[in-house]
Amino acid sequence: MFRHEWIEKNAILLLVLTLLTVAIGGIVEIIPLFTIETTVEHVVGMRPYTPLELMGRNIYIREGCYLCHSQQIRALKDEVERYGHFSLAAESMYDHPFQWGSKRIGPDLARVGGKYSSDWHYAHLTNPQELVPESLMPKYGFMANTPLDFDHIAEHLRANRLVGVPYTPDQIAHANDDLLAQANPQADAEALMKRYPKAVVVPGNDRAPTELDALVAYLQMLGTLVDFANTSAEKLQQ
Amino acid sequence: MSNPAITYNEDVVRKFVIAGMFWAVVAFLVGVYIAAELAWPEANLGLSFVNFGRLRPVHTSAAIFAFGGSVLIGTSFYVVQRTCRARLFGGEALADFVFWGYQFFIVMAALSYVMGFSQGQEYAEPEWHLDVWLTVVWVAYAVIFVGTLLKREEPHIYVANWFYLAFILTIAVLHVVNNAAIPISMYSAKSYAVYAGVQSALIQWWYGHNAVGFFLTAGFLGMMYYFIPKQADRPIYSYRLSVVHFWSLVFMYIWAGPHHLHYTSLPDWTQTLGMVFSLMLWMPSWGGMINGLMTLSGAWDKLRTDPALRFSVTAVGFYGMSTFEGPVLSIRDVNALAHYTDWIVGHVHSGTLGWNAFISFGAIYYLVPVLWQRSGLYSTRLVAWHYWISTLGIVLYISSMWVAGIMQGLMWRAYDAFGFLQYSFAESVNAVHPYYVIRWMGGVMFFVGALIMVYNLVMTVRSSSTSRAAPDYPAGAIAAGE
Amino acid sequence: MEDDLSGFIVGVMVALLGLVGLVMASGAYDNAIFIFGLSLAGFAVLFDIGLIRRHFDRRSGGPHV
Repeated sequence: MFRHEWIEKNAILLLVLTLLTVAIGGIVEIIPLFTIETTVEHVVGMRPYTPLELMGRNIYIREGCYLCHSQQIRALKDEVERYGHFSLAAESMYDHPFQWGSKRIGPDLARVGGKYSSDWHYAHLTNPQELVPESLMPKYGFMANTPLDFDHIAEHLRANRLVGVPYTPDQIAHANDDLLAQANPQADAEALMKRYPKAVVVPGNDRAPTELDALVAYLQMLGTLVDFANTSAEKLQQ
Repeated sequence: MSNPAITYNEDVVRKFVIAGMFWAVVAFLVGVYIAAELAWPEANLGLSFVNFGRLRPVHTSAAIFAFGGSVLIGTSFYVVQRTCRARLFGGEALADFVFWGYQFFIVMAALSYVMGFSQGQEYAEPEWHLDVWLTVVWVAYAVIFVGTLLKREEPHIYVANWFYLAFILTIAVLHVVNNAAIPISMYSAKSYAVYAGVQSALIQWWYGHNAVGFFLTAGFLGMMYYFIPKQADRPIYSYRLSVVHFWSLVFMYIWAGPHHLHYTSLPDWTQTLGMVFSLMLWMPSWGGMINGLMTLSGAWDKLRTDPALRFSVTAVGFYGMSTFEGPVLSIRDVNALAHYTDWIVGHVHSGTLGWNAFISFGAIYYLVPVLWQRSGLYSTRLVAWHYWISTLGIVLYISSMWVAGIMQGLMWRAYDAFGFLQYSFAESVNAVHPYYVIRWMGGVMFFVGALIMVYNLVMTVRSSSTSRAAPDYPAGAIAAGE
Repeated sequence: MEDDLSGFIVGVMVALLGLVGLVMASGAYDNAIFIFGLSLAGFAVLFDIGLIRRHFDRRSGGPHV
């Protein structure tokens, strides 16, 4: 006959049983997400971030943007009407880590790419209240004056490759060129576009790329990659 | 030793109590400041390092890990020694390492946030190098705790220690798994998480919800199981209930994470599983509440004379309320309205302010006279003032967030007569402004309450009115079988 | 004596961690690692001085801190 006293008198037994009890739920929920094939939908258009977008994304994380903006449109009628097609798991498949967020002090940004002009973003990030008087957003003007630190850009791509983002050796080798090309409208962007379709070249300012350039490049691609015209409903079944 | 007295290591407990109170004040102050930033965005000052996005992790980390963590580790060292009748395993040096190492982690983490280093995962913002450091400290902590359990003189492991043990072990697992990341170089603070997208989301909320479940619940239940019986001078209400509610709580909590991801790109089966377990979790949670409250049966009159006990008991009340609200919020249709709104912020604060902070205040009010060999608290009147001002603060906080949250949820989904969305997002931002001001005021009151507490505690230690006439035993020594 | 043994093991471990801090600071790409590395080295020095002080306090039967 089992008696709880046995556990209470044996610290190691208590430790092992607690660990086992705790492990079950996590294992049952997490492991299948890696093994069930349909968890991430098969869609056309997803690609890794361009070097400039990746640096912009790092700034997005650094400033804690995810604390006020979600990047996850739920499958609810009003959300789809307000923000666009509900978010797919595939759309964040290269996000290490995810940035779905948990709070909307500001609006969702999952499909903000292309909704506003790049010039609007520069003005808005510098002084949000000038364009949206009700806004609670801090001013990010300091980014316009901060040169982007991209000395180690190739290492960033390589680290991403290590965790599973399919950057090709070609993309890693040209990381620096691609970054510069995207921040300068005068540059030849053909190679960049070939490696990263739909990349948005930002206006820049004839100087070295700034943090603001990177952030705008990132915002302008959010939610624009998947080709929904060529994606049937069955393909989105998880 | 020649006599049967055991010299407990109370030095490290005192340090953790002081650190806990210090970080409480910091956490509340930063909280008040960022609440002001939301009410009056000019308070961001255009300076990168005081922007809401950088200070918010300072607030959450200071509240949960610095204040909560210091109180948890400190009380666990106190409780495990007394209930095992054994001095801390590993000697003074290891205990000191846990104290200073943990404080070092907190300072470095806060500094790195304002400098702009963050992993971008809520409640797990510290970058990889700090995660590694915390792992080292945490292993030392686990060694002390388990080592002390192993060398105990009491045959039984007291129930408070089960909860502390579950807290220590599970936090270790959550921390290591959720923070797996590859730095771009060992000389760079920038890393990329091992998991991406939907897997990253689930693992993060498995972590996030169980930071609530094991840091903010199991650990603090350990405190409840020691300090409420002590303060009320009554045994635990039901031994059987504590056994059942311990194992069911530990088993079920871990499943509840997906309720943070309803209607998202997480597969439906996971969402449903998360919701079902969240609903079931209501039962073991209330098992704990009943066990805590009923321990007072026959001693309810003490609430009138002992305001410190009032904190502990009100804490259990808030615990019961939050653990009822939680399962309700985990229901998909309720969540559809409440998610992304301030309702969630209010829910979290009814748990953290009402439950975690209050039970900590109760325990600290009990501990300080004991640890510093004083005859009692400097002023019970001030404790009563602290109690009422902070309770009122919580009420303002959570009721304003209920109104703001439900209003946001309804405005976002409102349609006009022509079938168009009725409100722009900006209109919903405008509408909640008054409630953000009320929330800020609630926060200010809670902060003022904490300042009163600090004053009272300092006077308890310093004032001659609380000195014991003749200390009958040296510091830290207590007769066995106290 | 348990306290002396523990002091020795913990002291050596912290000293090694302090060295790691110095190495990290020396090659740092960014301020976060630079400050962390130097602070870690400083932490190790102060912590170990504290251990040594306590050891001698204990031996001379001085104030028990």
